[in-house]
Amino acid sequence: MAQEQGIQRLPAEQLYQKEIEALIAAEQDPIPTGWKMSPRSVFTYLAGGKVKDTVITPKYIGNKRLVEISIATLVTDRALLLIGDPGTAKSWLSEHLTAAINGDSTKVIQGTAGTTEEQIRYSWNYAMLIADGPSERAMIKTPVYRAMETGTIARIEEISRCASEVQDALISILSEKRIAIPELGTELAAKKGFSVIATANTRDKGVNTMSAALKRRFNIVVLPNPSDLASEMEIVKTRVAQLSQNLDLEASLPEDDVVGKVCTIFRELRAGMTLDGKQKVKPANSVLSTAEAISLLANSMALAGSFGDGKITDYELAAALQGAIVKDEEKDGIVWKEYLENIMKKRGAKWLGLYQECRELNG
Amino acid sequence: MKIIGIRHLSPAGAWYVKKTLDQRNPDVVLIEGPSDFSALIPEMAKREVKPPFAVLAYTEELPIETILYPFSIYSPEYQAMLWAVSRGKECRFIDLPSEIFLALSCACADIEEKMRQQECGEEARSVIYEKMDELCGEEDHETFWERTMEHCSSEEEYIEGSRQFGICLRQLEDEMEQDAHGCSRMENILRESYMKAQIEKVVCEGWSEEKIVVVTGAYHVEGLEHLVSAMTEEEFQKLPKKVSKKTLMPYSYYRLSNRSGYGAGNKAPAYYEMIWDALREGKPENVAYQYLASIASYSRQAGGMVSTAEVIDAVRLSQVLAQMKGDALPTLRDLRDAAVTCMGHGSFGEIAVAVAQAEIGTKIGEIPQGVVQTSVQSDFLRLLEELRLEKYKTLTAQELRLDLREKLNVKSELAARIDLRRSYFLHRLRILDISFAKWQDSRQERATWAESWLMQWTPEAEIQIVEAIVKGDTIEKAASFVLKERMEAAPGIAAMTQVLEDAFLCGLENSVHYAVAALQQTAVEEASLPEIGEALRHLSMIVQYGDIRNLDHTRMTPLMQQLFLRACLIMVQSCSCDDEAAKKMMDAIDAVHETQIRHDFLEEDPLIASLLQVARRDDLNAKLSGFCAALLLERSQMEEEELSREVQRRISRGVPAELGAGWLEGLSKKNHYGLIARLSLWRSLSEYVDTLDEEEFKRALVFLRRAFSDFSAKEKDQIAENLGEIWQLNREQTSEVLNAELKKEEQELLESLDEFDFGDFDDL
Repeated sequence: MAQEQGIQRLPAEQLYQKEIEALIAAEQDPIPTGWKMSPRSVFTYLAGGKVKDTVITPKYIGNKRLVEISIATLVTDRALLLIGDPGTAKSWLSEHLTAAINGDSTKVIQGTAGTTEEQIRYSWNYAMLIADGPSERAMIKTPVYRAMETGTIARIEEISRCASEVQDALISILSEKRIAIPELGTELAAKKGFSVIATANTRDKGVNTMSAALKRRFNIVVLPNPSDLASEMEIVKTRVAQLSQNLDLEASLPEDDVVGKVCTIFRELRAGMTLDGKQKVKPANSVLSTAEAISLLANSMALAGSFGDGKITDYELAAALQGAIVKDEEKDGIVWKEYLENIMKKRGAKWLGLYQECRELNG
Repeated sequence: MKIIGIRHLSPAGAWYVKKTLDQRNPDVVLIEGPSDFSALIPEMAKREVKPPFAVLAYTEELPIETILYPFSIYSPEYQAMLWAVSRGKECRFIDLPSEIFLALSCACADIEEKMRQQECGEEARSVIYEKMDELCGEEDHETFWERTMEHCSSEEEYIEGSRQFGICLRQLEDEMEQDAHGCSRMENILRESYMKAQIEKVVCEGWSEEKIVVVTGAYHVEGLEHLVSAMTEEEFQKLPKKVSKKTLMPYSYYRLSNRSGYGAGNKAPAYYEMIWDALREGKPENVAYQYLASIASYSRQAGGMVSTAEVIDAVRLSQVLAQMKGDALPTLRDLRDAAVTCMGHGSFGEIAVAVAQAEIGTKIGEIPQGVVQTSVQSDFLRLLEELRLEKYKTLTAQELRLDLREKLNVKSELAARIDLRRSYFLHRLRILDISFAKWQDSRQERATWAESWLMQWTPEAEIQIVEAIVKGDTIEKAASFVLKERMEAAPGIAAMTQVLEDAFLCGLENSVHYAVAALQQTAVEEASLPEIGEALRHLSMIVQYGDIRNLDHTRMTPLMQQLFLRACLIMVQSCSCDDEAAKKMMDAIDAVHETQIRHDFLEEDPLIASLLQVARRDDLNAKLSGFCAALLLERSQMEEEELSREVQRRISRGVPAELGAGWLEGLSKKNHYGLIARLSLWRSLSEYVDTLDEEEFKRALVFLRRAFSDFSAKEKDQIAENLGEIWQLNREQTSEVLNAELKKEEQELLESLDEFDFGDFDDL
């Protein structure tokens, strides 16, 4: 444990070690090859519940059916592609899936424009390669390679950010389930239980489109934005609580009222109308995802903890909102101002303080 | 006696009922369904009758109440009927007769109205269903049913399961409804005791009790077994009744899927038929293959790319999803989710069309002619024959052109007017929303003696015809009924004249008279100028072309006179309005003006008096004043001299530019040539422009431009000619300047003027 103290963010399987152990101990259903627990237990791990005396906290709040489909996909050894707006818990879900299924969520490849094919398949330790020639020892195995070797699940984040030739490298791996190693004259065949969970972002700019061929190799699950204010608030509250624990923030957790305000503003600016559907709002250019709402609140907590009295006030909230919403000074500034004047100003006394602070900042 | 509890429209239920009947081989089969439908059983079981079909019972008095019992191939009741009839066994319906159901539903509606504040039976039941779903971990009730009932593997399991289900449901209801006795609860008690009486009656007739099988809803099993005592004859007599008629009608899967509620509908009929087929083949696992393969093929038809590999993946995914719930067979929800994930690439929209086809389908039932026919159906067929339209009763669309004029070269009166009678007939169908003939409205061509129809027969039309029976016994009566209803519901006189016009097109003299009377009453009360204008336009059309349609239109004369007079009287006050409303007023005034010109029974004087007032007064909407002036010019009621005086007064330096331009715009709305020809007008205009200083000119320019924007190039040419003459200039040059495209800087200047000016005038 001493070693873990200084780590900023623990992987899911360590964070929820107790829950995973309890689930494995209480297992009654058949377990697929290469898995640590049955699909049903994986579902309980994600959706929450109770096993014997251990309470399992819900990890994914939202449509449970999507979790079921995701798990079932992995049972059929198909690869899973999670698509959605930023902040719809794609990576979160993928991490927890692998944590529950393999007890290991660390076989990750971060997709970037700089990701190369070698990072998907394998590469070489060139010093050794030149000294001894190709050998298994000189080989650097990628997360995908190791997953195939051990029959576990590899994660590829932001797959749509990879160049198309890198995406193409995945096609043969997913359909053949083997990698040829011509340098050694062998090939690696994936063990049972191998699969891939990829995530892709729909609203980001500067991404590569995925080829139909690659899409066909995946079962695609689209993760929606939280369907209503209540569920979004629940997500934000749970995640902020976890974050503040991890980051040792010295402020009290935001009150429901504050979370409600932030979520309301985000939802209204995202949807382009007020929650009751009666008034149109100019939608913001920034994405304003749930993830941003979470980081916004954590941010204000940090501000309040370090410079304030440890309680989020309208002053901190206004500063955080300004930063999150107004990314493009000119356009977003106007959107935000209109929102303040047309919507927030008319919301009555509860919103008055926040309105005044925001107006102050936005000039 | 064996009581089989079923779920209506349940393939597994149908299959196990059939198997049980085969095993027990009873002499009597009793089915839950209105007992007065028993006479229809032999008809329904005929080989030529293809499900889905429905039995419709309806009251004849107003307000019309209907109840509908749909049957599909996988209805347990239908399979039980087929079994009994094909083996020559006794088969009867034993539920309350439809006339009592109809009366009860009215009574219940009344009671429910009274106890709105208390929780009613239906609500309690939905709460129970929700609880059940929650316990079973299902998200909707349909899936719960499918998983627990449709996936039963033997008849014992199904029958015992449904019995237990019924018992639990009753218990739960007891618990939840301690104080309030919901209507549905009372109705169920009535129904069960009546059914019990019917069963006892069968036993009394001498049938062996051992040889009776009763097919009924799962809910009623316990009630029939030992709870309720049989209804006596006296008790039965006390029940309310409503005289009703019944008919057999073809039905469609689409309609079946549209109806909600237990027993009445079924969200995915085509899918359920797949289950039925698979059960008959003894391979229930085939459903998944068939459903997913048909989605694939439908999406390929719709242009989507779905590979066989994706279908295989979808099958596997659906099976795993089912296994996660501890079931061997996937439910519709599992299958659909698998299809979305594997074939739709995560989005339902991509395969929505294919899903609709695979789940709902386009199947339509068939009832052969002569089996049971409603009076409307026979009337329809008789008219088709009489009007020689039978050849259009095909599935391919054909055009039918009608010439409504009397043909003089034929012998009989009937033949001479056959096209007119066809037109009446087709318009009546249109009023009844029967999709057999579509009207290609070609009145724009002003050839009112010609009509064009697009004829296409669909089985859906048959259903619509049968449904018309609730509106009347014949096509004519039904159409009159609909028109009357529309008339009563019409919100204003414009809508009422629309109905009147329809009545006129349908050749329904009585409806026309009824509509005229109703219109007259409403017109006396409040009616605005635009409404009257619209009404007058319709009426004028009817009167003008009434002869062709062989209709007495003298009744309309007083109505039109009345409306016309009212229009003239309220015209002046209506003209004080903003520019938005002015558009409507302008249309209305134009309609009044044109109607007066067409019909000499309308006097000119009151109209002219009103027009003059509007044209001369300054406090009304300037556009409308200009427009009325234009109408007066057209009627030669305004002298050239007066016009030029008006122009000078309206467009002078003191008057705000937008008022002057508005007036000019109204003036130019009616007759461009009339204006162009009047040189004095242009001279006044020219003088006006000369008097303006630069700032005022800029303002005026914006509005003047708008006033002349709908003049054509040729007309502008002629204006140029006029101006050329006034300014003593070369006509071609003037024209060239007037018609030339604006240069970029000019355009910009004008745009900036637009902005500047409007802002300025807002402050005025």
